[in-house]
Amino acid sequence: MKEYTILAGASAVFAVLLDRYLHTTVLRKREYWIAIGVMFFFKIPSNGYLTWRPVVLYNPEYFLGVRLWSIPVEDFFYGYGFITLTIVLWEYFLRKERTS
Amino acid sequence: MKTEYLLVLAAILVFPLLLSILMPIRMYKHLRALLLSMGIVCAVYWTWDVLVTARGHWSFNPAYVLDARFLGMPVEEWLFFIVITFVAIFTYEAVRLVVERLGGK
Repeated sequence: MKEYTILAGASAVFAVLLDRYLHTTVLRKREYWIAIGVMFFFKIPSNGYLTWRPVVLYNPEYFLGVRLWSIPVEDFFYGYGFITLTIVLWEYFLRKERTS
Repeated sequence: MKTEYLLVLAAILVFPLLLSILMPIRMYKHLRALLLSMGIVCAVYWTWDVLVTARGHWSFNPAYVLDARFLGMPVEEWLFFIVITFVAIFTYEAVRLVVERLGGK
């Protein structure tokens, strides 16, 4: 089963839902989308290098096998969820600091 | 070269660390929020990574990582999450600063 595909997609959805649940609303902020753009711009050469070399080897049993350059498409969803979760929690704890 | 993964992590950190000297980024003033958000995300993604590495979702080429391993993963993979969570928050704060300076919103 394509477990990595499912997990990467689910993690991206989870981060987006958490933003709503915690009312951090980073997805409505311009700086969030610009930051995502900047992170992805730098993600392509670094993630690209790791997968081209390859430093990390992916098991074909668990991912689709579709790659952009050398990067599995799942890595983009994984990265999106990872970065979004980080920014959502950062905003959440910043706000808590301010209100306490 | 066995240091290649480590060098990629160092390269990712160079730009933000240099910029953080030049920009008055507020993240260091909120150490508690910084450590809590980085800590929780790292704990979640470390757990995920350890489980699926053991399951065989991916593996690490011994030619490009150091021999030091913990719970089946090279040290670089552990550092990866600390580096990226830090860089993500840094980038977000740097962008926010620029947007504010330009008088947006």
